[in-house]
Amino acid sequence: MLALIPLFPLLGFLINALVGRRLPKTVSGSVASAVMVASFVVSAMSVWQLAALPPAERVLEQTLYTWIASGDFQLDLTFRVDALSAVMILVVSGIGSLIHIYSTAYMHDEIDSEYARYFSYLNLFAAFMLVLVLGANFVVLFVGWEGVGLCSYLLIGFWFKKRSASDAGKKAFVVNRIGDYAFILGTLLIVTRFGTLDFLRLAEAVGPMAVEEGVFGVISIATLLLFIGATGKSAQIPLYTWLPDAMEGPTPVSALIHAATMVTAGVYMIGRNAVLFSHAPETMLIVAVIGAATALFAGTIGLVQNDIKRVLAYSTVSQLGLMFLAMGVGAFGAGIFHLYTHAFFKALLFLGSGAVIHALAGEQDIRNMGGLKRYLPVTYWTFLIGSLAIAGVPFLSGFFSKDEILYETFHEGHTILWLVAAITSLLTATYMFRLVFLTFHGERRHDAPAPAHQEDEESAHGAPAHHDHLHDAPPAMALVLIVLAVGSVLAGYVGVPHALGGHNALSSWLAPAFLPGTGPADAVLPAEEAALELTLMGVSSLIALAGIGLAAFIWLTRRELAARLAHAWSGVYTLLLNKYYVDEIYDAVIVRPTVRISQDGLWRGFDVRVVDAVVNGFGSVVDASAAVLRRLQTGSVRAYAGSLFIGVVMILGYYLWR
Amino acid sequence: MPETLVFYVLSGLAILASALVIGQRNPMYSVMLLIASFGALAGLYIQLDAPFVAVAQIIIYAGAIMVLFLFVVMLLNAPQEDAADWDRTHPLRQPGIARFGALLGLLLVVQLGWALMRASELDVPVAGRVDAETIGSVRQVGRVLFTDYMFAFEATSILILVAMVGAVVLARRETDQ
Amino acid sequence: MFNSSFDAVVPMLCVVLAALASMGAEAFRAKDEEMPIGGLGIVGLAGAGISSGLLWNRNAASFGVLVADNFALFVTLTLVIVGILTIMFSSQVLRRDQLPKGEYYALLLFSLVGMIMMAMANDLLIVFIALETLSLSVYVLTGIRRDDPKATEAAFKYFLLGAFSSAFFLYGIAFTYGLTGTTRLDQVGAYLAAQSMSDNPLILVALGLLLVGFAFKISAVPFHMWTPDAYEGAPAIVSGFMSTGVKAAAFAAFARVFLSSFEPFSADWAPIVWILAALTMILGTVVGVAQSNLKRMLAYSSIAHGGYLLVGLVAANQVGKAAILFYLLAYAVTNLAAFGVIALLSSREKETDELRDFAGLWHTHPALAALMTVCLLSLGGLPPTVGFIGKWYIFSAAVSAGYYGLAVIGVLTSVISVFFYLRVVVMMYMADRDASAPVPSQVTGLGMVALAASIVAIIYLGILPTPVLDLAAESIATIF
Repeated sequence: MLALIPLFPLLGFLINALVGRRLPKTVSGSVASAVMVASFVVSAMSVWQLAALPPAERVLEQTLYTWIASGDFQLDLTFRVDALSAVMILVVSGIGSLIHIYSTAYMHDEIDSEYARYFSYLNLFAAFMLVLVLGANFVVLFVGWEGVGLCSYLLIGFWFKKRSASDAGKKAFVVNRIGDYAFILGTLLIVTRFGTLDFLRLAEAVGPMAVEEGVFGVISIATLLLFIGATGKSAQIPLYTWLPDAMEGPTPVSALIHAATMVTAGVYMIGRNAVLFSHAPETMLIVAVIGAATALFAGTIGLVQNDIKRVLAYSTVSQLGLMFLAMGVGAFGAGIFHLYTHAFFKALLFLGSGAVIHALAGEQDIRNMGGLKRYLPVTYWTFLIGSLAIAGVPFLSGFFSKDEILYETFHEGHTILWLVAAITSLLTATYMFRLVFLTFHGERRHDAPAPAHQEDEESAHGAPAHHDHLHDAPPAMALVLIVLAVGSVLAGYVGVPHALGGHNALSSWLAPAFLPGTGPADAVLPAEEAALELTLMGVSSLIALAGIGLAAFIWLTRRELAARLAHAWSGVYTLLLNKYYVDEIYDAVIVRPTVRISQDGLWRGFDVRVVDAVVNGFGSVVDASAAVLRRLQTGSVRAYAGSLFIGVVMILGYYLWR
Repeated sequence: MPETLVFYVLSGLAILASALVIGQRNPMYSVMLLIASFGALAGLYIQLDAPFVAVAQIIIYAGAIMVLFLFVVMLLNAPQEDAADWDRTHPLRQPGIARFGALLGLLLVVQLGWALMRASELDVPVAGRVDAETIGSVRQVGRVLFTDYMFAFEATSILILVAMVGAVVLARRETDQ
Repeated sequence: MFNSSFDAVVPMLCVVLAALASMGAEAFRAKDEEMPIGGLGIVGLAGAGISSGLLWNRNAASFGVLVADNFALFVTLTLVIVGILTIMFSSQVLRRDQLPKGEYYALLLFSLVGMIMMAMANDLLIVFIALETLSLSVYVLTGIRRDDPKATEAAFKYFLLGAFSSAFFLYGIAFTYGLTGTTRLDQVGAYLAAQSMSDNPLILVALGLLLVGFAFKISAVPFHMWTPDAYEGAPAIVSGFMSTGVKAAAFAAFARVFLSSFEPFSADWAPIVWILAALTMILGTVVGVAQSNLKRMLAYSSIAHGGYLLVGLVAANQVGKAAILFYLLAYAVTNLAAFGVIALLSSREKETDELRDFAGLWHTHPALAALMTVCLLSLGGLPPTVGFIGKWYIFSAAVSAGYYGLAVIGVLTSVISVFFYLRVVVMMYMADRDASAPVPSQVTGLGMVALAASIVAIIYLGILPTPVLDLAAESIATIF
């Protein structure tokens, strides 16, 4: 039955890819959404079945067949659902269904064939993402890993007529390849060292081994390589630069792929290999530090960006950083909890921003918004709920998950990292409410110069700008926004901490997945720890409220203050606005030299046309009127033969002089 | 000792003639030099107790094929090859790749010579060398050719057929189009 | 002396007869009469395929110089597939470009004869004759479009360099014969294993020279220079045929000579092949990135793939050897289909081989664009295609044999290589077609069938590789 979960979206992909261009939009959209809902239903049924098992045995497996067998090494095509995958498949198929439904309205202005193309990519993405989270070994996970990357790339460049879109797609691809390289090497290292790639077998093999405390052994190297892979996929320092650019894709794509699901794959992968990572404390520390640094770094950038989707993109990078922080301090449950709540409110925020962009016919600059509260009530209220949730306002979903991360970080003794995370929380609340106030409150504005790509956006949406006839999200979109808003409020209640009288159900549900074969952690919190947790909770609630207050003070009541601050601290402001110039630095240090080596160095050195030119330059042999054959005899053939000859002499030389 | 001397003279002649073949600007001279080279090779075959091969070499290569070549050259009426100036200079004085190639060639000769000298010091065991009788007479050659080398013999016919078809394809005038 | 059985010759004989028949058909054909000459070829190849199947597990040997062991038969079957697909792609190309049909098919089939002979050869002399047979045919096929100066140029370059490398190869054979007194591969192997010759420089010279000959044919760096020119100049379908058939045959002989006869010297040749593999993978990939002509790009890609195959040869463990065979088949089907797409899209006046020619292909030829995408993804080694399985095998063989360096380079280059394959995909899907450019030709039924069959094979072998992998492992086990 598990195979059905990815097969449904795959079926949708095939239908839309093969005959989609001949189908009317309603049909292709409905097919795409229906297969996702079907997949969600099957997921829910499997999770139900899983929950009926005793906690220590909560594993459902389906082996389709032996995929690769070489020598004594065997690799099965196996899907497996355990507590962790259960959460993931529900998130992916659930949020995925909602976003498919939303897309049917959002993409409605596309022509039929483009519409079908969009949905075929989206279905294919969902299929690969489900393979990723269901895969029982590294290779099946890798199939999904590569597949989602490919779909993400295709979807970012979906509006390829915008040059920035195809560039962004390229960038996402290149950056991800770097991560993938490390990931494959990590996988190869694991298979040679442990002889298996199956996650459960691997955990069994690693379990009894010594923890690499203070040494950087094989496990540390392997986990570090895997983590580098994760930084690529999950947009962490130093490979995060592609994600903000990925916002060139259609907004529902940003919501699904670049916020709720694909970018969390790195976090999931670490959770999947919790045992392995736990044996490499050095790597874990690196994970935590990188996570915290990314969280803070992206948060500061998010504070000054003016593109509504870019703010959300940096917010995503920052929140992913918090998840990695949680993973790094060993709080795997907290990280996955945040992943899960984040999926709700970040999808909601992106879709809300999509509704805004849709209403404004492609406008994305928040300096040109303002006062939209009146025109877009549904969007406004749902967006507000999402912002409250992400800011960590008490008793919304983000509050519970973020507090668990903060508490665990503090509890594990990483005070500095805790402080970084706390500052990040403050930043989160501030930039989110800056976004809310600038977009929805105040008066309508048109102060920014029209962005260069606006025209393209309009043509992509097909509708001209009618700023005075703004209409709120159409029913399909509104429905999805409301469902997600409800989710953003309630999702956290599966993980109410003990300190607040809850049972932290999610954490005990997940525990066996991180330490296979055991039951749920039976955590009875000592009184003093409960007090600590409550204190920290109070602190972070205050932080959230302070951040909102700060945003309200600056952008709601005294808007000129923002400009004054920007002026007074112009150096910092410019630095942040230009995202610390990281793109420029990468370009100068890595991209351009590489291109130069590849094109000028190797190509020019080895490719015929240049060899020709060089040879001709040497002897000025070639008479322009000479016949082809004549030119050949004196031209590059000599160089080719020379190359061959060098090879001969070198090989013989090696044998004779060694 | 005289045998060795003859060997060196003949092989030197073969090498020299071959080298001169590619250095000529008049294709007619090239063909003549090639005949000289083949003749020297035939001498080497005789020294190796392979008179049949030597005779075949003279009759087929130096005789039949070279006559054909000469006819072709004459019919094409291409007495001179117009080469660039540097083509006539010493190989090592030529520019660029050509000089480089000449150097590499020298290097290869040195390498091979060195390898051969080292090998001769080693007193290598020579494996079951075919006795002179086997390759000496026409009768033996015929027997070996149609037993041991039967398949090679037949396969060569395919090779020659391919060469003919190829020549026809490349040389045919396009009349029907 | 005479070996009792003719069996091993049968597959080859089928193809020879087909070649002769197509020559005869061309000769006796009335002017302007259409004759299904390609069909003759397919029948002959099918005969070769069936007879190979019947010979399976029989270890037939003929004349002592040909062996039809399972290894040779696996390669033969691969070559039969290559041949049939090539003929199917060619039918449209020949009619469109008005190439001489009979000669084309005859040469194609003769070169296949050479390839099969090479795979079965158990004698260095036969290896050489086979090499020359296939090379001569391929030289002519490269230049078969005589009105195109680029094709003539390519053929001429290929011919000159091929002759040059053949000389080295022959020299290597001479040294081997001089030292061991035989050219039979099994006897050479037995002799080398029995005698201690490790301190004899001449055997190393022989080894080196043979290596050069093979390295040229599989276009390993630095013996690769002819490849981009030849592939660019030749008609696309011939390039596809060269890049798959010649490589498969050359690798088969390479593996047989080095893994069986020269196995005692593996400590001597492995480091060299290691370096060749590394250089080949790196150069093929990095230079490939800079190409804007699709045929040149695929030429560099095929160079890089030769490098991956060399990795399997260096690893030379059970997995690695099986991986070579599997990879040859996988690569052959994939690469031939990719070249097939180019060939089918081209017109008489112009080959559709520039990257920008593929802009917006999705709009005019959706099916072809999709098929090409699958081919390219498979070449890039992305799951779930056969290319991924092949690479996985090669690299895991390298890792388990302890060649971490090669595995690291291999993974890196295959990661980079995806970049240039995907560039074509991007062109097809994410670019608007140049309005002034002519719409590429439509593809006829036969070509489409061949493409569809290749794609099915690519995906099928990617999802269910085990039967073929087992077959490969089994056939390699019979000889090494």
